[in-house]
Amino acid sequence: MQVRIFVTYKQSVFDPQGETIKDAIHTLGHQEVEAVKVGKFFDVTFAPGTKDVEAAVKEIADQLLVNFNMETYTYQVMEDAE
Amino acid sequence: MKIAVIVFPGSNCDLDIYEALHTVCQADVEYVPHKATSLAGFDAVMIPGGFSYGDYLRAGAIARFAPVMKEVIRLAKEGKPVFGTCNGFQILTEAGLLPGALKRNDSQQFVCKTVPLEVVNNQTIFTKQYEAHERINLPIAHADGSYYADQATLDALEANHQVVFRYAEENPNGSLNNIAGITNQAGNVLGMMPHPERAVEAILGNTDGLRLFKSLLTYGTVKA
Repeated sequence: MQVRIFVTYKQSVFDPQGETIKDAIHTLGHQEVEAVKVGKFFDVTFAPGTKDVEAAVKEIADQLLVNFNMETYTYQVMEDAE
Repeated sequence: MKIAVIVFPGSNCDLDIYEALHTVCQADVEYVPHKATSLAGFDAVMIPGGFSYGDYLRAGAIARFAPVMKEVIRLAKEGKPVFGTCNGFQILTEAGLLPGALKRNDSQQFVCKTVPLEVVNNQTIFTKQYEAHERINLPIAHADGSYYADQATLDALEANHQVVFRYAEENPNGSLNNIAGITNQAGNVLGMMPHPERAVEAILGNTDGLRLFKSLLTYGTVKA
């Protein structure tokens, strides 16, 4: 089972990369773009039959992948790769 | 006072801190590897700059899991002096010994130069030998030095006089409140982005960092 965990800055934290990319998008002609946020994602693969994957994801995110001073996260369970 | 300099894979200012203490200050100092499980007998800890674990994930994020960090946290909780510069500051925030976090510089660039600082609080065990509001110059060299904390944390830091160093002129990285260095609430843990260990001898062109180590050693003598 694979889980994709997305980590981004909190809304309140200035994201200079996102701002710069947004400016470039405007230069490209897409004035309709209001905001760009840069983040990272982690594909975490669990052994088949792992119990309570969601609790594990939460602990891994809380303790390691995310610095809650400045970041937040979401995750999605991916389709099992055949 | 016996001082430990922690060496992580990727530390690169460990030698500078060691020499500042050993050669310049004639202090009793020893390297301690990241895998050590005991800091028994040590009275203070130095966490050097560098790129521990390649700055993978976030600067300082992986170092927090090194075996020696349990002991660093124990000493910090016992009230013993713990000092981190640059990557050491990042590690101390990631380990929860200091509030807030260090994010990528606003410029997205690695910044390497000497900057003017204000000694905001000269009543800490690390800054007793500086004058109140003294202006000093120290080198900085970092890509992730922009101090961030939420407003409540910033307010608490200011109210408790935990901001020890502030960038005195331009803000080189986007740090909130121009913060260059802070202590924990108890005052025994100091983290700062500038490198005092690179400014301890005239031949280095700058001795403004020397009094930080002298302050600590004087405190150690008084304490012993």
